[in-house]
Amino acid sequence: MPAHESKPTLRLERTADTFVEIVDTLVRDFDVIEVLTVLTSRCVELLDAAAAGILLADDAGNLRVVGASTEQIHLLELFQVQNEEGPCLDCFRTGKPVISSDLRSISPWPTFAAECIAAGFLSVCAVPLRLKGATLGCLNLFMRQAAALSDADVALAQALADVASITMVQEQAARQVATQHAHLRRTLNGRIAIEQAKGMIAESAGLGMDAAFARLRHHAEARHEGPTAIAEALVSGAITVSDVTG
Amino acid sequence: MDAEPSRRIAIAFARQAASSPSALWCLACIDVLAVSGAAITLTGPDDSGPICTSSPGVAALEDLQFVSGEGPYRDAQRTGRRVDAPHLEATSEWPSFAELAQSHGFAAAFAYPLTVDGATVGVMSVYQYAAGDLSTDQHDDCRALADVLAATILSLQADAPAGELADALDDAIAYRAEVYQASGMLAVQLSIPPAEALLRIRAYAFAASRPLDSVATDILAHRLRLPDDRRDRPGRKV
Repeated sequence: MPAHESKPTLRLERTADTFVEIVDTLVRDFDVIEVLTVLTSRCVELLDAAAAGILLADDAGNLRVVGASTEQIHLLELFQVQNEEGPCLDCFRTGKPVISSDLRSISPWPTFAAECIAAGFLSVCAVPLRLKGATLGCLNLFMRQAAALSDADVALAQALADVASITMVQEQAARQVATQHAHLRRTLNGRIAIEQAKGMIAESAGLGMDAAFARLRHHAEARHEGPTAIAEALVSGAITVSDVTG
Repeated sequence: MDAEPSRRIAIAFARQAASSPSALWCLACIDVLAVSGAAITLTGPDDSGPICTSSPGVAALEDLQFVSGEGPYRDAQRTGRRVDAPHLEATSEWPSFAELAQSHGFAAAFAYPLTVDGATVGVMSVYQYAAGDLSTDQHDDCRALADVLAATILSLQADAPAGELADALDDAIAYRAEVYQASGMLAVQLSIPPAEALLRIRAYAFAASRPLDSVATDILAHRLRLPDDRRDRPGRKV
């Protein structure tokens, strides 16, 4: 029996604390790996698990270990991925929780089960990291005793996994905004540089603005560059206006 | 911020502005926020330009702030924070801005940075004929609209062809194209970087109380040649 069930209030408070802690790291400048590592530690405290690990799918759909409460678990998770068998892989494939209450009984993952037993874990649970129907990875819980997690524990594990999913989406969104903002600034500066370069060429070669722009483009094409790159080089002084007009 | 006004304002704005060119966004702002004037400015680290202005008076205030480097939108651009000037008559900051604003009938001005996750992409300026602070609801609505505008600007640019400014945003630079061209010309004339030439043009326009675009036109036509002089004083005609 999970030890926490006798003290529901305490557990509720600690669960709330965990969510607050995770949301707090989200608000600060956060590191997704740090958040996931905090999550694995709290899983161990809140649930009756001895250890926890998180695997995420990369762009190619291959699972990678991104967080573990202990180094031993890091190795067990790696073992799953390398041998292409284990609860996490099944959970990732199906998008549903996978529970094995006694790894000593006949296991769908004999190699993984043997490794776990050798490491002192007799049961496992894997819950998916889900987002809008897609499965991003999974949270893996390792227990010392041979007993299925209660429904309440599985539900809590899933809630924690959902928080982890939001964490990653938040980070993606923040990274995207930073990239878009940098892109906007670069483009804005490039656009201004074009107008300034037109003025420089016009003054230097005694041309009108349209002819100055044509000269800029011609010079850029001959060098297999974009007009913005040439304009920025002119404005920064990396090349001189006679390089373009001469 | 309450999610409800944000959604209501976003929907009201989108209904008016989504299908109209960016030049009309300000009119949607005025309507949705129930204010007297508005400008939406795209800002870079130093430079900036208006995507739209609701009237020639608001455009003149935009120009003055660009030239002098002072005013509510300039402060919002620099600090990334909201700027309130509910009583322009009494404000001691930006005296030339306050004077010009009042000459166009505005008694209060507010500037909202357009930020997404701490990145400032522009500023929304709001003007009122009546002195006094905006109501809490109006401030909430302004904040919500600023968030919508910031997200709109970033997503418009994200969809633009590589290296090009999105059509809807290009007005911000096109508006001052001649000023930037003139700074390039002056840079060659005086053998100084274009950024410094732009500062000289701004200083000249401010000191001579002349509209920036007419100064630029004169430089482009070789009717005006600013002196090769490190001091910022009015140039002479040649």
